[in-house]
Amino acid sequence: MTFKAFISALAVSFGIPWLLIIVVPFGKMRNLKAVHFEMANDGKDEVYVPRRSGRITTGSALYGANGCYVCHSQLIRAGYAGSELGRPDWAGFRVKDENGVSINTARETTPYDYVGEPFAHIGIMRIGPDLTNVAGRIQSYLEDPLTKAESPENWLYLHLYNSALKTRTLNNRSGCPRQAHLFEERVVYGQGSPEAVPGLNREGVEVLPTAEAKALVSYLLSLRKDDAVPYSINYSREKKKAE
Amino acid sequence: MAADSDSKTKIHEDLELRARIDRSLRHPVMFFFTSGAAWLAVALILGFISSFQSHDSRFLAGCEFLNYGRVYPAHVNALVYGWGCQAAFGLIVWLMARLSRKEGSSVGIILTAGHVWNFGVLIGMLGILGGYGSGKPWMEFPVAIWPLLLVSYFFITVWSFIQFRCREGGKTYVAQWYLVASLFWFPWIYLTAHLFVFVFNGHPVMAAGVNAWFKYALLFLFFTPVALGTAYYLAPKITGRPIYSYSLALFGFWALAVIGPWAGMQKLAGGPLPQFMPYVGAAATVLVLIPALAVGVNILMTLRGHESEVAASPSLHFTIAGIVAFVVLGLVGMVLNTPGTLKMTQFALTGYGFEILAVYGFFSMCAFGGIYFIVPRITRREWLSRRFIGWHFWLTTYGIGTVVVCSIMGGYFQGAAQEAYNHAWHDAATLNYAYNVGTTVAWGFILFGNFFFLLHLLLMWARLGRRSQHPTLLKGSHHGGSPHGPDGDLDELQASEA
Repeated sequence: MTFKAFISALAVSFGIPWLLIIVVPFGKMRNLKAVHFEMANDGKDEVYVPRRSGRITTGSALYGANGCYVCHSQLIRAGYAGSELGRPDWAGFRVKDENGVSINTARETTPYDYVGEPFAHIGIMRIGPDLTNVAGRIQSYLEDPLTKAESPENWLYLHLYNSALKTRTLNNRSGCPRQAHLFEERVVYGQGSPEAVPGLNREGVEVLPTAEAKALVSYLLSLRKDDAVPYSINYSREKKKAE
Repeated sequence: MAADSDSKTKIHEDLELRARIDRSLRHPVMFFFTSGAAWLAVALILGFISSFQSHDSRFLAGCEFLNYGRVYPAHVNALVYGWGCQAAFGLIVWLMARLSRKEGSSVGIILTAGHVWNFGVLIGMLGILGGYGSGKPWMEFPVAIWPLLLVSYFFITVWSFIQFRCREGGKTYVAQWYLVASLFWFPWIYLTAHLFVFVFNGHPVMAAGVNAWFKYALLFLFFTPVALGTAYYLAPKITGRPIYSYSLALFGFWALAVIGPWAGMQKLAGGPLPQFMPYVGAAATVLVLIPALAVGVNILMTLRGHESEVAASPSLHFTIAGIVAFVVLGLVGMVLNTPGTLKMTQFALTGYGFEILAVYGFFSMCAFGGIYFIVPRITRREWLSRRFIGWHFWLTTYGIGTVVVCSIMGGYFQGAAQEAYNHAWHDAATLNYAYNVGTTVAWGFILFGNFFFLLHLLLMWARLGRRSQHPTLLKGSHHGGSPHGPDGDLDELQASEA
């Protein structure tokens, strides 16, 4: 085998998969077509716009820089590939629709769910829970009578500052490491700052979230991906056409 | 009589050429090995810390630089870019020069580029620990680092490629296929991954897919060929017999070349991208067992019947451990990537166990084998202590075995508990506690073993090795016959002629 033939064979054996699983899919997924709600299936005619607000780009970068993705995943896999859809409050929630009927909003992750982020933090080891719908889950944590948190932001600040402080129970071991560097401690003057995190104040000292903490929390609160998607990309077994 | 003296001059010339090659490459190769070993020590310390934190989140909790979310990526990146790549560069530079029978040229440029690489890794590591990491697995260095590493890679390895093109005699060894292929694949993989993730504006899920592919491409198409090239050099060289089967070697090489590039995207199975991509990745990872078996059989059959050399040679100890780990890697890859098991292993500790098995159990063990062979030749000193080598070998072998078993089994139970969606999530999170403790203890042992390796290597670097004609072997006296053959015994030859 000559050198030329050797290199050409290497180029072909590498180039084919390179084209088929990297270059072509990358180009195809680059500008995904918008999906539409259709009158026949969804009962309305409009473009599906994934709703998401908050400081997503900055928060996503901070999420990466602090290694949240090592323990937390952000992917609700399709039913054949995993069981996140079945776990309560992970893929969606039991809510009442406008007629008072209880429905389950659980759905798998769609390509539109990571809108605004340059990189999908799907995660590595999942030592901590999936965060695809963490913003919705915090709402239910706030109903826990033992919680110290007063608002979703407050819950996340407590979690980041010291995850063991979130509830009033004594035996509250959480594996999530402290991110105290996202906070600033300072002496209280007068009535104190309105931004001070309730529940963390000690005598004469208040704890303020830094700009980074605010961005990260804003990002985390944008993580709720259980909105109704058009019939064409809804893979739920229970999906129904609009009447 | 004339023919006899003719062959004698030929042997003499041959020995002189080898000695000249070794001498010319002394500084760059030693630089890569020693700085790589130093980064390995850093990686192991960080591995110990991160593993400790995975079962006790209060460990070093006051210090933001040593938060789990930063220590873990720093640990992996130090292992891959600080140790793995640099050990590979040292092996490529030396093996290619020897196999092509060409003295090293542009040594100054290689050394400079090596320093630039180390500088890049250092800045990248500080960036990760300082909170500037990019957050993409195996690419966590801050974005500005990757072009620097790519350019220095080019100036480190381009000479080996040139040496191969201008090689004497026109012969091509099996080891050279692998080395040339790794030189060909690395820039393509590295550039593709970083362009598609950091530069081109694409879909976030596809960026994650390219990132997942990059990890496996680097494992199977850079670390694997360098390790196999080293093994294919050492096994026939030390036993003094040809490779068991040339056609099996050919088959194993092309099987890897055809299968390897498809692997990796199984990390995104069930995610929102074309589903053939993750499942092709899973299938390719299963099929890696084919080249693993081909190479395993070939290397081990080459060594069959040479038990005394194997028992005595440190290089062969490490090479065999590495090759066995490669076969185990193929088996583990097969078991963990079936549609039934992938569910449980996709987001669990098993992935970490698989990476450590590949980078440490397989690649690093083969690299240690190469280092124990190469360093005495380029420093012209023998290793000081067979006990140090023995401790390094056994502590590392058992330590890595423990890390891999704990991570893969613990991760499997963790994954199974995660799949049991009717049970509390807390179960899955606490189930692998004992396995994490085991991993921490094992990293401690590996760190201890690596201490002997680093110390030994630094002593050799300082040219404090034994001045002797007889290599340091694990068995038998220092004055027995050398299983390494007459290679490098120029002094002895000259002495006998004088």
